[in-house]
Amino acid sequence: MSLTLAGARYRYAGTARDVLDGIDLEVAPGRVVGLAGANESGKSTVCLVASGLAPASIGGRLDGSVSIDGIETKGMAPHEAAQRCGVLFQNPTTQLSGTTVTVFEEIAFGPRNLGLEIGEIVGRVEWVLDTLGIAALAPKDPARLSGGQAQLVALASVLALRPAYLVLDEPTSQLDPQGTRLVGEALAGLAAETGTGILIVEHKTELLAAMAHDVAVLETGRIALAGPAPEVLADPRLAELGVEPPASARLRLALGAAGLGSDRDVFDAIDGAAAGGPRVGGRPAGEAPAVGPPVNA
Amino acid sequence: MSIPIAAESVAFVYPDGTRALDGIDLHVAEGERVAIVGQNGSGKSTLVRQLNGLLRPTEGRVLVDGRDAAQLHVAQLAARVGLAFQNPDRQIFAGRVRAEVAFGPRNLGRSGDAVDRAVDEALDAVGLSGTADANPYDLGYSRRKLLAIASILAMQTPVVILDEPTTGQDARGVARVRAIIERLSTEGRTVITISHDMRFVAETARRVVVMREGRILLDGTPGEVFGEANWPALASTYLEPTLPARVGARLGLDGTATEAALVEALQARRG
Amino acid sequence: MPHGTYHALNPTTKLVIAFAEALVAFGVRGWTGPLAVLVVLALTALAAGVARRMVPFALATIPLVISILLVNTLLYPGAHDVIVRLGPLAPTWSGLTAALQATLRVIAFALSAAILGLTTPTDDLLSDLERRGLGRRGTFVIGSAIRMVPRMGERAGEITDSQRARGMDTQGSVIRRVRGVIPLAGPMIFGALTEVEEQTMALEARAFSAPARRTVLRVLPDSGAQRLVRWVLFLGAIAAVAAEIAGLLHLP
Repeated sequence: MSLTLAGARYRYAGTARDVLDGIDLEVAPGRVVGLAGANESGKSTVCLVASGLAPASIGGRLDGSVSIDGIETKGMAPHEAAQRCGVLFQNPTTQLSGTTVTVFEEIAFGPRNLGLEIGEIVGRVEWVLDTLGIAALAPKDPARLSGGQAQLVALASVLALRPAYLVLDEPTSQLDPQGTRLVGEALAGLAAETGTGILIVEHKTELLAAMAHDVAVLETGRIALAGPAPEVLADPRLAELGVEPPASARLRLALGAAGLGSDRDVFDAIDGAAAGGPRVGGRPAGEAPAVGPPVNA
Repeated sequence: MSIPIAAESVAFVYPDGTRALDGIDLHVAEGERVAIVGQNGSGKSTLVRQLNGLLRPTEGRVLVDGRDAAQLHVAQLAARVGLAFQNPDRQIFAGRVRAEVAFGPRNLGRSGDAVDRAVDEALDAVGLSGTADANPYDLGYSRRKLLAIASILAMQTPVVILDEPTTGQDARGVARVRAIIERLSTEGRTVITISHDMRFVAETARRVVVMREGRILLDGTPGEVFGEANWPALASTYLEPTLPARVGARLGLDGTATEAALVEALQARRG
Repeated sequence: MPHGTYHALNPTTKLVIAFAEALVAFGVRGWTGPLAVLVVLALTALAAGVARRMVPFALATIPLVISILLVNTLLYPGAHDVIVRLGPLAPTWSGLTAALQATLRVIAFALSAAILGLTTPTDDLLSDLERRGLGRRGTFVIGSAIRMVPRMGERAGEITDSQRARGMDTQGSVIRRVRGVIPLAGPMIFGALTEVEEQTMALEARAFSAPARRTVLRVLPDSGAQRLVRWVLFLGAIAAVAAEIAGLLHLP
């Protein structure tokens, strides 16, 4: 049981070059896999292929195997794929239907497309509102949400189809720090609470350090680096691959280079400060957002 | 080729009644490197639109090179204050990269070699020299964004404002933007950057202005703004100090907003 | 009549009312068509309690109205009943009459759409049309077209700002303005295209193309009386226009 890419190669319709050049990737239920890499290395394409949108919805040619719980996505209709693997894009506003007047109805949009019974739809919407901790948004107008809130509603709308896997393409890139924190917190507990397997593309390696179990780094359509998140995020090759290492890794390198590598108290301070932030997850639902850095012990 | 720019007691109210700016006093000296940070809706974008005349203050005044901006047209201000917007797709229209970059300087009345040289220089600065004849829409988002920045650089304005230049950029793109800002700065030009990325801000700006609800909340060097005394104020608008600042505070050092500053402070302490 | 009554009408009834109003306003020549429709619109707006909120819609027609007035009054073909000579300009009475009538029609059209929009949530209208058999794609095309409008306005504003910041002069000579069209229209079209692409994928990700019959969340109230009203209005408006075209109506 997993979302699996095996030797996946993909080229867009009307082009002659494989953007993905043999990708092997596995996302197990309840696991969070981070995907990093320079721009135009194929990250967004992996999202389209893994979620079944490519080629079913946008065409192009897929070779190799992409399967969700053992079923190949080739030949899967887009609405079937959507119920197995959800996908969230960068821009919060273009993902909302724009035809609904409340967040509740917006989230019900997907389940309604499936023709589900009203009781089932209401149950799903309430479940997802509760899971993401956004019940308070239910009566609001989707057009009047902040960027972070809109992105959460877009996420909720996808989750309402009850997919076993979720693909997130830079979900916080267009958000301000407040929105980033809001979405980061909602995502952090999601895999553990719901057993959803998550593939997340992200430039912000801090976010990956906080939530990913494993991380893979792409380079021109191939996986150049993969393994447990702490190892990959501390790998010295990260920068060459166009990926900014997390702040703590960078700081350790800078201190080492300056000959300060042996100061125990300095490294303890880094561990302490890094553990204190960025604040992603771990806060009980309903608690007021803890703002600011931790007070020094 | 630099000029000072200032907002004096500027307030701005949108037609729908939203008070986006309230009592803004900001004096930016010639050649300064300033970053403006704050949440969406805090007034950052509204403020920079006052500086190039796209919006005019409801109260107070804006001074560009000592002259009241109210007496200058947007086109005149555009020759002094270049503003690269956040979304490149709201400006790119030309069929060739080169033509897109030439649009600004031509509008300013330049022609011939002067334009060619400015375009070449700007494309070189953003690393797009190799794609000068490409169609802009064949470039990915991050390169379109650099193209939009180049189209402002080519106008060779004494003041350059960059709104969220690092959004969607990878590590190389961010390094590129940083290099552009440093180069502008060594040329003595004034650079104002809006950004959500605190590390980028701490490393590129000499002065950080924090905005909240249309007002200036904090204004100082990165070391000062991210110093421990300001953490509650930063937290009140969901901003976090950089990691070196947090580490420095734990070690009893203040003003260590960047890795370099922290290393320096530690070396100094060691003696 | 309490304000809620008009709001509570079935969305399709309100759509037919707006359609009939627009048809009569444009299809019946002279003053009677547009004036009759404007009276009906004014009464409806008061009854529905949306009169104040319609002001911006009326104001939005101003640029169009001004150009209609200028062009017709000054350049009405074949008109010689000059009001007053102002140098090279010769406004005519027939031009002015035609212009005022056209203005009323435009305003009537804008306001009939405004009342529909202000009293009917888009989603209600769409789900009602869908229940009546309009396919989900058709439904979506209408829905997204409706929501495009405010977005287009926003986008146009951002594009204008971006180009003005690059020194483009939006004032000045006609040639300058014509030249300014491409830098404004280009990003507009490209932006719309990329957005449609993103939106299509996002819709697929929400099972939009599922073959099932879409669940209707709320069955909107309807009645035999409303059904009758719809047919009467629909056929009545068409009959009025047909009579006009056939030359049977001799209204002022």
